[in-house]
Amino acid sequence: MATNRALKGRIRSINNTRKITRTMELVATSKLKRAQDRVTAARPFAQALTEVIADLATPDLASQFPLLRTPAKPRDGGPAAAVVILITSNRGLAGGFNSNLIKEARRRIDVLTAEGYHVDLIGVGKKGIGFFRYIGRKFRSERTDIGDRPTPDHAASVVDDLTKDFAEGRIGVVDLVQSKFISVLNSPPTTVRVLPIAAPAKARGGMRPDYILSPDAATLLDALLPLYVRNTMYRGLVETVAAEQAARRTAMKNATDNAGDLLEALKRTYNRQRQAQITQEIAEIVGGASALQG
Amino acid sequence: MLKVSVISPEAVLFQGETESVIAPAYDGEIGILTGHAPLMALLGDGELRLGGGSGRRFNVSGGFMQVLNNDVRIVTEKATAAG
Repeated sequence: MATNRALKGRIRSINNTRKITRTMELVATSKLKRAQDRVTAARPFAQALTEVIADLATPDLASQFPLLRTPAKPRDGGPAAAVVILITSNRGLAGGFNSNLIKEARRRIDVLTAEGYHVDLIGVGKKGIGFFRYIGRKFRSERTDIGDRPTPDHAASVVDDLTKDFAEGRIGVVDLVQSKFISVLNSPPTTVRVLPIAAPAKARGGMRPDYILSPDAATLLDALLPLYVRNTMYRGLVETVAAEQAARRTAMKNATDNAGDLLEALKRTYNRQRQAQITQEIAEIVGGASALQG
Repeated sequence: MLKVSVISPEAVLFQGETESVIAPAYDGEIGILTGHAPLMALLGDGELRLGGGSGRRFNVSGGFMQVLNNDVRIVTEKATAAG
């Protein structure tokens, strides 16, 4: 049976742990709010870009653009290289967040390998990089400098040379493993195909407006498609940051709650023991006194 | 009046009504007034001016402008408020 002093020590230590998890929960909550705002703010740009590309891209035009064309599979003579970009967080203590993303990435790598590709990895975030290094996989490139506030420049620096390699036929496919931020409580890991660009479906039905194009549709698309690729990456980064904070908040909230339960149980035991000890001491004193009187 | 929005990846920088838009297209400036035909234009580097002398200005670099039914959208990766 634990002594009173040992119990007291445990209570103190759990109390301190609870303070830490509680603070982390609060920090994650405020970071989540800002990350969420960035996700929302990124939407109009993506929407405008998607609509315009849908308006411009006609099927015969699409076949001219390497970024819109699906290359042949490796076994049909297409490029043998594929790239998987894995976004994870730089920090842990976010529940299953990182391991879920890693699991999704491994699944993706297996699928692509089965299709005959040689898969190159690009790691964004320390946690994913750490795992794949541990199992002995090499990275094409590693990025740990993108923190809580990803910018379009970060996104461009990751995908721009991939876009070039893809356009020149050295890469057959580029996939992005990220968290899809649907809501605070729902942000499952997903794979987004970055390249080839899935030609966006026409947003509004019927006739396309008869635009004056300046310059022509081909030049416009040529300028806009790389923007679209970068934007896909940027959204991936932003959504994953938001999902990370949401996951951390949930994990830390659970930890705080558990610590509270544990504290309550320990305090009860401690008080019961203290009382039992006092009762026993009184009984001993009374016993001793009556023996003296005897 | 034209409904104008200036959109960058990170935020909607401006949304509102103005009388005119002067945008730096890839081959020179384009002016847009109410009733302009549908237009899709590539932008270059330069200053985007909304609504005459006292209106808002932005420095933009690349991207495009879409005009449709008096709705003007300037979508650009780099835009900063100027002046």
